[in-house]
Amino acid sequence: MSQEIKLYVRTADQTRRAELDLDPGSTGADIIQAAVDNWALPADTDYTLVNTTTGRALAPGESLSKVARPGDVLEVQPVLVAG
Amino acid sequence: MRTQRYRRHDLIDWFSQDEVSAARIAVVGAGAVGNEVVKNLALLGVGGIDVFDFDEVEAHNLTRSILLRESDAGRNKAEAVAERARDIDPNIRVRAVPGDFWDTLSLRALQGYDCIVAAVDNFEARLRLNQMCLITGVNLVNAGLDSRWASVESFPYGSVEDAACYECTLPDSAYARIAERYSCGGLRRRARIERRIPTTAVTASIAGALAASVALRFGEEDAPTRSRRTLVDTLGGTAGTVSIERREGCPGCDAHRDAAQVIRTRNCWVRPEGAAAMDGSVLDQPLRLSDALIASYECAACGPLEDSARYLNHRADEFDDSIATCPVCAAPTVRVGIRDTFALGELIERFGRRPVPAKFALAEMDGRLVCFDFEEDTGP
Repeated sequence: MSQEIKLYVRTADQTRRAELDLDPGSTGADIIQAAVDNWALPADTDYTLVNTTTGRALAPGESLSKVARPGDVLEVQPVLVAG
Repeated sequence: MRTQRYRRHDLIDWFSQDEVSAARIAVVGAGAVGNEVVKNLALLGVGGIDVFDFDEVEAHNLTRSILLRESDAGRNKAEAVAERARDIDPNIRVRAVPGDFWDTLSLRALQGYDCIVAAVDNFEARLRLNQMCLITGVNLVNAGLDSRWASVESFPYGSVEDAACYECTLPDSAYARIAERYSCGGLRRRARIERRIPTTAVTASIAGALAASVALRFGEEDAPTRSRRTLVDTLGGTAGTVSIERREGCPGCDAHRDAAQVIRTRNCWVRPEGAAAMDGSVLDQPLRLSDALIASYECAACGPLEDSARYLNHRADEFDDSIATCPVCAAPTVRVGIRDTFALGELIERFGRRPVPAKFALAEMDGRLVCFDFEEDTGP
C-alpha cells in the first residue's frame, strides 16, 4: 500500500485551509471536488489546482505523487471566464 | 507631434518604442477587458491594433468599459472601441472587425499578428482561439476576471514549440459547462439561461493592464520559455504567478506536438485527377473539420424527412434542439447525426463544388499534421 503524503490545501483567498493526508494516487480533480464539497465553494465556478510551493499549475488528472512532495501547499484557484 | 508624444517612453531603459510601434496585436472581445487592453495598447503606441467583436453596446457595459459612452448604445462594440482608440493616438492604425471572429478572422490573417489577446467571455471562444493559435504558432494571451479576481495567462506558441496550451489545466467541469449549452452532440439548447458573471472596472483594469504588458512581453529580454498564469486578488492585494506544463493527452495540444503545416486552399471539392486519381486511398483520407456538421437527419418513426435538405451538411451550431422534433409525427424522434470527421471522398460526394461550411480541416498525413485553411483573406 502506498504511503500517504501530508499536504496543505487552501483556497486562493486563504480563508480556508486544511492539512491533509492524501493518497499519492489522488488527482488534482479529486482535491478540487473535495474542496468544493467540504468548504461549500460556489458550484457555478470552475476551479484549477496550483502547487504554490513549486509554482506550478496542476493538470486535472495528474496524480499528486508526481507533482507534490510532503509539506507542499496546494491552492484551489478559480478559472475565470468573464471578459 | 509623434516624436514629442513618446518622449517619456524613451526615458525607460527597457522600453523600445520602435518595437512597440511595430507590433501588431488582435484583441478578440471588446467588453470590459478588451476595452482596457485596447486603451493600454493605444496609449503605448502599438502600431497595429485590430478589435474583434460581434456584440452591441448596452447600458450595463458602461460601468466598466473605459472607451464606451452612452451615445454608443446600440453600436457595434468593436467599432466604438476602435474609434475611441484612434482618438487616443492618431499615429496608430486601429481597425474594427464587427462579427464573430470565427467567421471574420482567418488562419492566414492570424499569422500576421505578433499576439492574440483573448478578452472573450466564454470557454468555447477561448478553445477556438487556442486552437487557431496552436495551428498557426501565434502567441496567445488569455485574460479573465470576475468581481474579485483577475487572471492573465500567456501561451508563447510563437517561440516555444512544446508550450503548454490553454486546455492543459482546464478542468473537466469547463467541458461539462460547454456541453450544457448543446444537445445531440452539437445543437444549441433552447430556453437556456446563460450564466451572468459580475465584474467591476477594478478587476477589468488590472486584467487589461497585465494582458497588455504580457502581450508586449514587457520586462522580458529573451523570448518566453514556458506558459504562465498570473492570478491577482484585487480585494486582498496579492498576486501569484505559476508555470503551466504541457499535459499528456491534452485535448487541445496533444495533436500539435509539432507545428502544423498550414496549406491555404480553395474550398472546392472535386475528384482528384491524374496519378492521384489512381490511388484510391486518397479518397479515404480522414479530414477533421473545424466545425461539426449535420451528417444525417431522419425520424426513427417516419423515416427520411422531406425537409432534411434544410439541415444536412450545414453547421450543427446553426440550429437548436427543436429540429429533433419530427415535423410529421411531432414526436422528439428525429435522429440528428452530427460529426466533424469525414473521408475526403465523402466530402466530395456531399459538397461537389460547393464550399464546406467550415473554417479549416486537419489531417494526419505521413505522420505530420496538415491544416487546410479554407477561408477568404480577412487579414490586416
